Amino acid sequence: MVNFATLVREHWMNILVPIGFVIGFYMDRAQDEKLTNFRNRSALYSRELKPGEEVTWK
Amino acid sequence: MLKILIPTFMLFPTIWLVPGKWLWTATTAHSLVVASASLSWFKWCSETGWVAPNLYLALDPLSFPLAVLACWLVPLMIIASQNHVAHEPLTRQRTYISLLVSLQVFLILAFSAMDILTFYVMFEATLIPTLIIITRWGSQTERLSAGTYFMFYTLLGSLPLLVALLYLLNDTGTLSMHTLQYIQMTNPDTLGTMLWWVACLLAFLVKMPLYGVHLWLPKAHVEAPVAGSMVLAAVLLKLGGYGMMRMMVVLGPLTKEMAYPFIILALWGIIMTGSICLRQTDLKSLIAYSSVSHMGLVASGILIQTPWGFTGAIILMVAHGLASSALFCLANTSYERTHSRTMLLTRGLQMILPLMAAWWFLANLANLALPPLPNLMGELMIIVSVFNWSSWTILLTGLGTLITASYSLHLFLTTQRGPTPQHFISMDPSHTREHLLMALHLIPLLLLVLKPELMWGWCF
Amino acid sequence: MSPYVFTLLIFNLGLGTTMTFASSHWLLAWMGLEINTLAIIPLMTRQHHPRAVEATTKYFLTQATAAALILFASTSNAWLTGEWAINQMSHPLATSTIMLALALKLGLAPVHFWMPEVIQGLDLTTGLVLSTWQKLAPFALLLQVSSTVNPLILTLIGLLSTLIGGWGGLNQTQLRKILAYSSIAHLGWMVLIIQFSPPLATLSLLIYIIMTTSAFLTFKLTSSTTMNALATSWTKSPMMTSLATLILLSLAGLPPLTGFMPKWLILQELVKQDLPMLAFFAAMTALLSLYFYLRLCYTVALTSSPNTITMLTPWRLNPTQTSPLNPLTTMLTLALLPLTPAILALVIY
Repeated sequence: MVNFATLVREHWMNILVPIGFVIGFYMDRAQDEKLTNFRNRSALYSRELKPGEEVTWK
Repeated sequence: MLKILIPTFMLFPTIWLVPGKWLWTATTAHSLVVASASLSWFKWCSETGWVAPNLYLALDPLSFPLAVLACWLVPLMIIASQNHVAHEPLTRQRTYISLLVSLQVFLILAFSAMDILTFYVMFEATLIPTLIIITRWGSQTERLSAGTYFMFYTLLGSLPLLVALLYLLNDTGTLSMHTLQYIQMTNPDTLGTMLWWVACLLAFLVKMPLYGVHLWLPKAHVEAPVAGSMVLAAVLLKLGGYGMMRMMVVLGPLTKEMAYPFIILALWGIIMTGSICLRQTDLKSLIAYSSVSHMGLVASGILIQTPWGFTGAIILMVAHGLASSALFCLANTSYERTHSRTMLLTRGLQMILPLMAAWWFLANLANLALPPLPNLMGELMIIVSVFNWSSWTILLTGLGTLITASYSLHLFLTTQRGPTPQHFISMDPSHTREHLLMALHLIPLLLLVLKPELMWGWCF
Repeated sequence: MSPYVFTLLIFNLGLGTTMTFASSHWLLAWMGLEINTLAIIPLMTRQHHPRAVEATTKYFLTQATAAALILFASTSNAWLTGEWAINQMSHPLATSTIMLALALKLGLAPVHFWMPEVIQGLDLTTGLVLSTWQKLAPFALLLQVSSTVNPLILTLIGLLSTLIGGWGGLNQTQLRKILAYSSIAHLGWMVLIIQFSPPLATLSLLIYIIMTTSAFLTFKLTSSTTMNALATSWTKSPMMTSLATLILLSLAGLPPLTGFMPKWLILQELVKQDLPMLAFFAAMTALLSLYFYLRLCYTVALTSSPNTITMLTPWRLNPTQTSPLNPLTTMLTLALLPLTPAILALVIY
């Protein structure tokens, strides 16, 4: 148990970059959804989806 | 986009919080993870033509090879600087790595900016970390004048660019890259518009650098520590080429006549800087001049504005980025052992460091563009498209290729072959770290030729 | 100096500037300027050594000349047109004279010569007051008269100031003189833009005050007034000296630091007014200033000068010259550029 505490104390900062990934991934997704919604609602850019195609901005 | 940028930002607290004994391990590992994640940008399946778009940042086939290259270089720079920064106090080591990571941030933002002014700000923002790396961690007093040269050459070119960009903004009301290709400048014949054309390209030509405004580059390379040289050769010069390709779209019909002197300078520069390499005694200076010569080819490929020219330019930029960075690493390995950059004093190393000689061989072959490597592909495409523009240019480009081959051979033979001087007897063997570093440079280079469309630019 | 007198003088310093701000009548504005000058004079000689007295005398003479010119110009304007209001000046003789007087007060080229000499004779705190607070009152007047002054005069004074500010600092080793020349150059940029966009000029002044405050306070923290002293100052506060590099580059106007913002906006406004060549020349003069800032950067943190062993220890002691303002202004000096749109919305629109 002591070892685990030491491990956490010495290495907790290694979690920062993975956390950054999670946040970044989440924010990218949110942005994609926002742009997709905009695209799907706009008269100029909305189109029929191909069979099997997912709704995304990309 | 943010899934790379936010982890990159998170590298800063990691660098400053990690215990001292884990500093280099942790930062290398984390930045390597970020670099691997950046490979996801290669997945380009978007109907908009942009990868990972949000409102301000996005990548397209022109920029993602360079953005990935920028991310890839950071772990390599960290690995390469381990030895020479190791004797400094811990705080300075952390500062040094922070500077390298801040360069990565600025470079990603520069390559992914959707607005030319954002690109400009980030282009300029890379100056400060580079200046600090050169002048704080360089080894000789001449580093100060190298830093001054670097700053003033770049700013002398880029302040007119700022005015020219603001002029364009005033004229068209937008500088977004979405709409840039539809922009037409009015009244293209006046002196003012010509000056505007020159101002738009000069900053990038200085950064490339074009022959004639290249003097800052060998100085900066010679004085910079290894990480500075690596990032300068691999990515910062490519900012110039990238910016030129972006601006070319706007410059329109004027380029047809205006580009002549610059193409001539670029092609002539290949010969001149190649000849300088032939009689160069300083190892790093030789590699720097070889960069200038290759960038001359890139500049001419961009300036004639054909799809093949652009494709060749971007392939050569990526391939040269990896190859020249590898050469600078190799130069550093022998510098760390002999403490001299003079080629006469660092000769005959094959006997002592045989595996290093193999890396030298591969890196030199990459530099002189041997067939299976993407360097050849880039050079060939540029030479062909320039030849198609005017057949006389084959004299210059052909001679340039010949000279490149000669000085690469000269470099290899002088440093590796021949009798080993007596003062080398007690020399460190090469470390696993250095072999890893070279492998991480050359394996991507070898693999890229199997799937060159990753860096083909717009011409799918 | 007794604290009562000191407080009285500080309040008078504030009163003078505030009076000038609040007045629309030339006579009252002139009174404000005079009160301001008379209050700072004893403050300047607080450390009563010959150099400070000399600086004070020079300051008094130039400010008195400027005030007399202002009085002369405003009375002659009133004589000729019957108008005492500050923003209703119309006679060209009066406006040109006023412009000259305000340039003298602000230390703009070609009447800038007193500025480096005076600041060199003062301690850093008074120098800071001189290059920030003392600019406010004349600047407020300049904002009001700028629309009536001949544009050519304004442009010439502005361009000349950026040029002289860069040129003069090149050969200096004294920090206070360098900061004085930097002040001349920055004020030149403001005068260049003041006829087109007064709010932008105010914004530039604000940013300049923030930047120069952090520079003065950092030098004060390490008690350095020459480049030599600056070179060994890293032993006193390693953190602040490495930040000093960035502060100086921000003063030089390099992106991504705050100092780039006013330069960018001013160039944009000049181009919008169809003056791209003027914008180009102004941008080029910024390179001259950059050279001496860069040289300061080299000495302050990018080279480590040789030291004796005992010199290496001062960072263990608490510095005596701290100011709570310094961290705040330094943060603003380094990181305000991303907030440009918000600041524009606040200040200009």
